Amino acid sequence: MPTLVNYGGEDQFFGGGSLCTSSIDLDRLYSMGSSMDMYCPPHKRARVCGSYAVSSYEYEGEHLSSIEELPDECLFEIFKWLPGGRERSSCACVSKHWLFLLSNMRRTDLSGEVDKSAKEDKETMTSSSGDTEMVSCDVSGRLEGDGHLTRCLEGKKATDVRLAAVAVGTNGRGGLGKLSIRGTSSTRAVTNIGISAIARGCPSLRALSLWNLSSIGDDGLVEIAKECCLLEKLDLSHCAFVSNKGLIAIAENCRDLISLNIESCPKIGNEGLEAIGRCCPRLQSISIKDCPLVGDHGVASLVSSSSSVLSKIKLQGLNITDFSLAVIGHFGLAVTSLVLGGLRSASEKGFWVMGKAQGLKKVSSLTIASCHGITDVSLGAIGRGFTNLKQMCLRKCLFVSDAGLITFSRVASSLENLQVEGLDRISLGGVIGVISNCEMKLKSLSIANCMGIKDLLEGSPVLSSCPSLRSLSIQNCPGFGSASLAMVGKWCPHLEHVDLTGLCGITDAGLSPLVENSEAGLVKVNLRNCLNITDEAVSTLVRLHGGTLELLNLDGCRKVTDASLVAIADNCLLLNDLDMSKCGITDSGVSLLSSAGHLSLQVLSLAGCSMVSNKSMPFLKKLGGSLIGLNLQHCRSISGGVVELLAESLWRCDILS
Amino acid sequence: MASSRKITLRSSDGESFEVEEAVAVESQTIKHMIEDDCADNAIPLPNVTSKILAKVIEYCKKHVDASKAEDRVNDEDLKAWDAAFIKVDQVDQATLFDLILAANYLNIKSLLDLTCQTVADMIKGNLFPVRNEWLNFTFSIANRELVLVCLTEWVAHRRLFCS
Repeated sequence: MPTLVNYGGEDQFFGGGSLCTSSIDLDRLYSMGSSMDMYCPPHKRARVCGSYAVSSYEYEGEHLSSIEELPDECLFEIFKWLPGGRERSSCACVSKHWLFLLSNMRRTDLSGEVDKSAKEDKETMTSSSGDTEMVSCDVSGRLEGDGHLTRCLEGKKATDVRLAAVAVGTNGRGGLGKLSIRGTSSTRAVTNIGISAIARGCPSLRALSLWNLSSIGDDGLVEIAKECCLLEKLDLSHCAFVSNKGLIAIAENCRDLISLNIESCPKIGNEGLEAIGRCCPRLQSISIKDCPLVGDHGVASLVSSSSSVLSKIKLQGLNITDFSLAVIGHFGLAVTSLVLGGLRSASEKGFWVMGKAQGLKKVSSLTIASCHGITDVSLGAIGRGFTNLKQMCLRKCLFVSDAGLITFSRVASSLENLQVEGLDRISLGGVIGVISNCEMKLKSLSIANCMGIKDLLEGSPVLSSCPSLRSLSIQNCPGFGSASLAMVGKWCPHLEHVDLTGLCGITDAGLSPLVENSEAGLVKVNLRNCLNITDEAVSTLVRLHGGTLELLNLDGCRKVTDASLVAIADNCLLLNDLDMSKCGITDSGVSLLSSAGHLSLQVLSLAGCSMVSNKSMPFLKKLGGSLIGLNLQHCRSISGGVVELLAESLWRCDILS
Repeated sequence: MASSRKITLRSSDGESFEVEEAVAVESQTIKHMIEDDCADNAIPLPNVTSKILAKVIEYCKKHVDASKAEDRVNDEDLKAWDAAFIKVDQVDQATLFDLILAANYLNIKSLLDLTCQTVADMIKGNLFPVRNEWLNFTFSIANRELVLVCLTEWVAHRRLFCS
């Protein structure tokens, strides 16, 4: 039986796997023959054979009162009686005119099977709710499935024709549950027509996501609102012509809306948000980004009306002021996750009030980025007011100094995870202060891109040990050197995850206190781009922590050689992720690694190791028994042929080259 | 039922047909015209030829008689009559489409349903006909893209419910 297996590799089908089974009996189509070639080779071009072309042209000459001359309303009446999805899909293939006519038919317009069953079992009909939407078009009488299918249309597939085909394909069948359309900035092929077709054909739509579609407008959304009342998630990004009108329609008709996400929609403003707040009591998650017309009124009415269940709020790049922050502070009783970014018009007072208002007691995760209103004072108020705060992330809030950070870490009594990035005013003192003052609860500390940190110059300040810290990550802070690391390492005995990416200043001497003091056993160690680390440090590390080490990343550590691999092979029992990119290792190192029988590596990277050559192939093959990922990019001494051979024998492994 | 008033219908080619009012009002369009009092003289039907009008009248007469009969005509018998009326040997496709147009214009729901359902069945039976005496779908090859798109979507959805 012919199959459509090779077609449509780009499509995402819910069930996965191959497209077609032998039970498809599009016999008519295939009886046309082998002449009408539906097999699509991987090049994805249909080849319609010449003989078919000729026969259809035989009719061209005669003047026919053909079916195509019937007006739309008559065609509509005819299509109503088409008994099934297959016939409708086939008719949709006739012309775009028919396709769009069919796609505009709602399930309730189809009378095919409904009428027949009405005559046959009147009792069933009267005993049901009488709502025609509930009656199946399927002869067996089973109720429609409710939206299991997911479709994602991107790039060239994002067209009205495709949307209409989806609508026709699902109509009467089980319904599309989730639809994503990803246009490009030049996509004009999706318009309100396509969206309306989806609206009518897929009333069980639950999640709709529209990105970069500048040719759809309010009319499309209004249709969706009218027909898809079960809509739960709406995601609009870069839809330049969608305005408040569309959003209000959605609000008024889709009362079950749970999640709303709006990004860069310049015409959406306060009225739309106010309608959402008023009409959607089940809203749990709201995210608004870069919408210049959104202001205090919209945000405040949204937050204060659906206060009972709104749990996730994300507001980025908006012109909201202290007033909105105050409202959030008072009314955000159910909020668990709050993200505020780029709020240029909000000042210190707003954040201070938000902390003081005592309403945000359930917030466990807070992220604040690029807000100049975050100062030491407001940060302190937030630390005190957000009593349940477990995870805090501060990015590029340039007015935060050491004192503010230390106070915060002291008063935020539930804090377990602190991430700071780009706080250039923080110095080493701040880091020390956080670690000492963390009230025994801090489990994870991450500091990245803080240019103000300078290395410890003298002495060793007294720190109280921080036994709760499990994960320490200091990335790309060029001033953080060996002395600082040594000191920090001495006071954090229970570290399990260490990430020192980009700390090119640290040496073996700086790393050793940390490694030696760790009582719990290090599990993940990332020394990416720590250029000065040598074999000695690595050997000490694996000797002491081989029993627990699972991930070791030495990407860019040029001074590391085969000696480290010897140590790893000897000591590491649990290692499953090893990255030796750009290290000075050779074939003998790889062979030693492969001979370590107890090791079962899952991910191995040898990218940029120019001394690893084709001779390593048998060793890599041996390692490949357990590997699922192998990176051999930029390995100049390994030839393409060898990589292919490896790929063939290690079929389970994903090889990058 | 009460009045057996006669209404005159004039086709587009000038022929007049006299029918009982009960038969004429099977058509909602004509019914409204009568109610609006435009029916004193003949009702002109410029969109319907005499050939088609004759068939329409035949159909309406049969259905009015069937509902009026003392021993009600069996539903099955009426259906059989309808089937014979529309049977494709007797009705060539041009007539069929004209009947659809007429039923639409005259707003006779049952005739419209009958004719449209017939066409739908014919479509069902012959999806991509090469030589079909009754239907002349012109499928241009330019639509192969549509064919791929539509059938792919249908296949994708069918896959879910295959088992």
